[in-house]
Order: sequence, then structure tokens, then C-alpha cells
Amino acid sequence: MEDVRMIAAWTTPGREQTTAGEEGFMRLYEATSRPLWGYLQHASGRPDAADDLLQETYCRFLLHRIPTMDEARTRSYLFRIATNLLHNRFRSREDAALEEPAECGVETDQAARLDVQAAMRRLKPRERELLWLAYVEGMSHAEIAAATGLGAMSIRILLYRARRKASGILRPQRTKS
Amino acid sequence: MKLMGCEQEAGVIRAMQTGGWTEYLRLHVADCQDCSEALRLAEALREEARRAERRCNPPDPYWILQRSRRMARVLAVRRMTLLLASMRALAAFYVVAAAGWLLRGYAALPYREVFSAISGASTWFALMGAMVAAVCVAAGLWPILREDATRRKAGSVR
Repeated sequence: MEDVRMIAAWTTPGREQTTAGEEGFMRLYEATSRPLWGYLQHASGRPDAADDLLQETYCRFLLHRIPTMDEARTRSYLFRIATNLLHNRFRSREDAALEEPAECGVETDQAARLDVQAAMRRLKPRERELLWLAYVEGMSHAEIAAATGLGAMSIRILLYRARRKASGILRPQRTKS
Repeated sequence: MKLMGCEQEAGVIRAMQTGGWTEYLRLHVADCQDCSEALRLAEALREEARRAERRCNPPDPYWILQRSRRMARVLAVRRMTLLLASMRALAAFYVVAAAGWLLRGYAALPYREVFSAISGASTWFALMGAMVAAVCVAAGLWPILREDATRRKAGSVR
């Protein structure tokens, strides 16, 4: 809460840009950038796109005048900006959105990782977003509705369908292995 | 299996995240196909998220701060430019309207009456004031027009 106020003071034109605002932003960035990057990477299917979108998300967040928001709302707001940017990207470069993610880092449990990543790639962008927000970020249906711009009533049905589809994709792969 | 999933699903996911499992939820997950499927998927996705976080190398936040400052400056300049352009358009409209109004008013008068009306200290004082105002406006407009012309020339060269 305090961090958000400090950032608001920093971004409000005409006020002195204090180091306190920068520190507030650093703390917020430290707490939220990794989960947000994970979301962007899995929803877009591309780590390079995730980097770009992450920067853009925080720039837009800083530019917008922030009313008094608590931490939960700030986090939800960041995910909303990120989701909107993802949708813009899907609209403009639909063909590039589902490319295979680049390999990075040494993985010990390669097979499990490839299973989940392959399953995610076979889902629609909207389905990936819903699954990630619900099962990784632990957002409620109302929070997902706020982040995606969908109706709160339709989230439950869409999430159910996405989950059935993802489980259907993962199950045969696991029985094969 | 239900058509819209199980009512307990949200509670199961919350319990998985917080570790707040109750006996009822454990028994329910063992019996409910929806919830057990949701739990398996959630665990797989969270494991994938943990892996992603380990290999994630987010951009430098200082760079983002600098970029947002630049964007804020650009937006402020764009807003001011828009304001100045609208003021300029308004001023042009005002000049045209005032000229039209004056011409319409003086057209009805014979020239001699107009010239005889321009006499006396107060009229000369008013004319001097108008001249000073005109000089000020011209001095203000000169750099703007010159900058416009330079920019237009640069644009045509490019």
C-alpha cells in the first residue's frame, strides 16, 4: 500500500521525483516481476515476447495515475495491463504467438517440463491465460474477470472447458511415457 | 462429472496454495474426479511456474523507470502541442471573425465619416495600443512560424 502511494507520488507530474518512489517501485518490481514474467511467457509462448511485454506493462503502470490501491489490487491491475497487451499482440501477430519457446537453462526434469509446455502450446491463448491465473496465481473468478475483461459468470465455464482440454492433452502424454 | 466443474474446486486450489487442507477437502478430492483433475493440473502448472521463475531474468527496473520517464515527457509534450495547436486555431478563428465584424460595421459608413471619427487623443492612444499589440503578436509568431517552416523543409528533404 505504502509502496503504491510512493510510486503514485513519483509518477504524478509536477511533484518531486523522489528516491522513495523509486525504492517503492523496486520493491513492487521485485515482488511481482517473476510471476508476471511467467504468466506472460506461458500465455504468449515466447520468452522474448515476455521480456518486451513485461517492460511495457510496468511502463504503462508507472504512467497511469494510480489511485490509492492496495497490494492485491495493484497486482491484479498489473495482470490486467499484461493481459491487454497480450491480446493486442495476439491480434497483431497471431501467427507468431504459438511458436515453440526457446530453450534456456539446464533442466533436470526435462520430460515433465516439455509435457506441460507442449500441452500449453496446444491450448488457445485465452485458455492458457485462464488456467495460469486460476491455478498458478490462485486468483478467484472475480479477479480473473477483472484481469481478462471477461464476464465473471462465464469464467467458471471457460475455465472448466480449458481445464478439461488441458487434462485431456496431458493424460495421453503421461500414459505414453 | 458436472457440466461446470465442482463447487469445491476453488477451495481445493486455495488449500493447495496455502496448505490449509481440511479433512473434508481431502476426502472430497479423493472422491471427486473434477477436483482431483484440477489438483493434478494445478500442481503441474505450479511446478512449471517454479521452473520458469528459476530461469527468469527480468529486465533491469532502472531501465524501465528511465523509459517510463521518457514516455511521460513525450506524452506531456504531445498534450501541450495539442493545446497550443487548438489555441492557434482559436486565435485564427477570432481574427477572421473580428475582421469580418469590423469590415461589416465600417462598410456601412462613408469614408469621410470614418476618417473624421479617427481624431482626438483617445483614438490615437487606442491606435498606439493596437500597434503595440500587433508588434507583440508578430514578435511571438515569428519564431513559431520560422520553426514550422524549418520543420516542413526538413520533412520535404527527408
